[in-house]
Amino acid sequence: MTTVLVETSDALPLVSVAIAFRGGAACDPPGQEGAARLCARMLRRGAGAWSADQIEDRLDLLGGELSASASLSASTLHFEVILRSLEPFADLVATLLAEPRFEPSELGRLCRKTQAEIVESRDSDRSLASRAFRMELFGDHPYGRRIAGSIASLPSIRATDLRRFFQEHYRRDEAVVAVSGPLSVSAAEALAERLLSGLPASAEGRAPTADLVPEPTMKPGKRLVIVEKAERSQTQLVVGSLGTSAHDPDHVPLLVGNTALGGTFTSRLMNEVRVQRGWSYGASSSLSLDRRREAFSMWTAPAEADAGPCLELELRLLSELRRDGVDDDELAFVKGYLVRSHAFDIDTPKKRVLQRLEEKVFDLPEGYFARYLERVGAVTRDETNAAVAKRLPDGDLVVAVVGSHETLEAPLVAAMGGDVTVKRLPIDFE
Amino acid sequence: MPAAGSPTHQALEDLCDALSKGRGEHARVRYEGSVPFGFAAVSSGGSGAVPEVARFRLGNGLAILLLTDAAAPVLCVQTWFRVGSRHERAGKTGIAHLFEHLMFGETENHEEGELDRLLEEAGAETNAATFLDWTYYHTNLPKDALELVLSLEADRLEHLVLNAPQVAREKEVVMNERRQRVDDDLDGAVSEILYKTAFDVHPYGHPTIGWMEDIQGFVPEDCATFYGTYYAPNNATLVVVGDTTAGVLLPIVQARYGHLAPSELPVEDARPEPPQTSERYVSVEKPTAAVKLALGYRCPALGDADHVPLSLLGEVLFGGASSRAYRRLVRQAEVATEVRGWVGAFAEPALFDCWLSGREGVQASDLLRRFDELIEEVIGGAITEEELEKAKAKLELSTLQGLETIAERAEGVGFYDAVLGEPDAPFRRLAQARRATRSDLLRVARRYLVRHARTVVEVLPQKSGEQAA
Repeated sequence: MTTVLVETSDALPLVSVAIAFRGGAACDPPGQEGAARLCARMLRRGAGAWSADQIEDRLDLLGGELSASASLSASTLHFEVILRSLEPFADLVATLLAEPRFEPSELGRLCRKTQAEIVESRDSDRSLASRAFRMELFGDHPYGRRIAGSIASLPSIRATDLRRFFQEHYRRDEAVVAVSGPLSVSAAEALAERLLSGLPASAEGRAPTADLVPEPTMKPGKRLVIVEKAERSQTQLVVGSLGTSAHDPDHVPLLVGNTALGGTFTSRLMNEVRVQRGWSYGASSSLSLDRRREAFSMWTAPAEADAGPCLELELRLLSELRRDGVDDDELAFVKGYLVRSHAFDIDTPKKRVLQRLEEKVFDLPEGYFARYLERVGAVTRDETNAAVAKRLPDGDLVVAVVGSHETLEAPLVAAMGGDVTVKRLPIDFE
Repeated sequence: MPAAGSPTHQALEDLCDALSKGRGEHARVRYEGSVPFGFAAVSSGGSGAVPEVARFRLGNGLAILLLTDAAAPVLCVQTWFRVGSRHERAGKTGIAHLFEHLMFGETENHEEGELDRLLEEAGAETNAATFLDWTYYHTNLPKDALELVLSLEADRLEHLVLNAPQVAREKEVVMNERRQRVDDDLDGAVSEILYKTAFDVHPYGHPTIGWMEDIQGFVPEDCATFYGTYYAPNNATLVVVGDTTAGVLLPIVQARYGHLAPSELPVEDARPEPPQTSERYVSVEKPTAAVKLALGYRCPALGDADHVPLSLLGEVLFGGASSRAYRRLVRQAEVATEVRGWVGAFAEPALFDCWLSGREGVQASDLLRRFDELIEEVIGGAITEEELEKAKAKLELSTLQGLETIAERAEGVGFYDAVLGEPDAPFRRLAQARRATRSDLLRVARRYLVRHARTVVEVLPQKSGEQAA
């Protein structure tokens, strides 16, 4: 049955609702990359008696905002609306879910727009670096695909394909609804019931969505990907490997270790790269979270001439952390920071309820967020050091940069200690 | 009427009297009044319990704005300085922003990095921002870290160390920030060209981050002069939002800031921009696949009575998928991927800047012609009552959304106080929007969407062969 999560608050006359279905772009059928996102975006482009233009007029006139999008592991509708308009707004959203039209003419228009957006995304170096990194890291695994699809895959997606995707994934047993605002629990549950009333309870004979995506695996070796782009004065530089799964026994110790490496403004990366050397405006590391093991990555943006030394420094910091670990003072500092700053992760009803939604949608361990502080508090130095030694990359890693291979390739290969598989990608790589 | 449980105005006056007894001139504190701050202030359905922003002032001129909210045990503390890149002169652009970076460095009492470390140890998160009219420092903190945060803020207001290695290193960081946000960023680079072209005289024409050669040229003396001139209690407002009270806050502020003397602030030397009499058009080539157009129409200052109707007009043109520009250019003609517009919110007249991202193969002239057609329709009176209602609803929604976190509320209070001296301006503006008619929108469309007074920057894809293959 559908899970409904509620945070009641009278602070503002504003209602926020997220409806997440547990199938996203990782469930795109082969050759139809981009289907999950198209499906979500088509919902507001015609439903029941409403045309696309009528829907947009209505949403805006009611003082509401609606987004419908896909991530790798979920398809999510999120809306916020002024309390007085909640009833008619909810009626409209319920219609979008109950009677989507998936008209071919609208699909063609959206497909062309999405293709144009993919072309436009090449203007962003950060987006190019991220795409190249994930594609190289995850390879053929669904986590390596672009959620928007590709220029080639999009036209092959038909309205009937989207209808099938919708029927398979937009179902009540795979839905989680999160409501925050001035509504009682029973009113919020009734609202969720109304929003999903046009959807089937389950899809006959379908496996649970969570079983459809395998664990990713790390390819051995050192790999460098250079996205060729002209006139760069600096390079977006991302370094990483596979990271963590929330179900790993060393998951929380690894979060603690990563915070010491690059999770705060005084972390090792920030201190060495920015404060000591001024090489990059930003310097950070992060561990992404999803249903399966996600990426570990370090981000900097040095001037082209500093890219080699900067990468060498980052890899040295990584290897020192793996070898020597953190000491007691650093551990106490990081744990203190994570525990005390946690107040800002949960200081509004919307943040609290979306955290609970994340736990359900990503199949995080029961009580993942509720027990977070307790688990961080209990982490020991030995656990942290064992986790970073085991999980952070040593020999097997991926480096992705944007710029010119003529100036970047040699210093980056040298910084990686040689024996590197190098791949050069044109700016319009798919 | 104050929210239930909040102190009466008389109680705040009495508190200030008691706290001022026996204190030196600079440390005395005065209650200057309260203004309602909250949605109920303009909503007919409110409960009547409207939160209030209370304003206090130390004898040395430091303003303190307090908005109490005990919903969570957290606080947001911001210090707004009424200095930004508008106050810079040619050859020294970027000093306000570079200085913002330096404020996180060494002081006589704390070594390099200690400020960030102490704050993070306390679970606080800190940042800062500089723009044309202001600079502000922001910290989110657990409520028990209030004394620590204010002690660090007051310390760097008085005891900052500005030495050569530190300035040199921070210049490197800022140059890298410039490369990331301007030189290698299409939007950033084009926005800089737009403002530079639109302003010949007024300092809004130079970029807040500064020209690269100016950043390279700064020496510690430039920074020390800037510090001595603008970083004074009488040029600052301390904004505190969250779980505390005047009784807790004010004694700490007195203890930390009460010994500081005010400075004599210089008379601002900016000259107004002369009227623009002909369209300015600039064409640049960039490594991109499709054309872009940035347009800057003249817009009034934030405090001008026309600013609200022009903002509503901005919503009609660019606000979401039902807006005129989106529907016409993205959806129907399919010549653009993205359209957006923003009416500058600045102390002095600035730009209503508009951005059109073309699709591959579309000519800049075609995109501009289609955009001009829809502007002509608006000037001809085409806006409907429903469009006006949608714009009002959007403004109401965004005002509400800007009240969700303590940081958003602090930013609203601080920004509107710094630019207008009115921390409650969002609600006054919302009330003004509710009264706006189609006549108001037509008036501002005809007054500001004037072709001969606009600036256009077109971005063309570099010719093939020049772009990396």
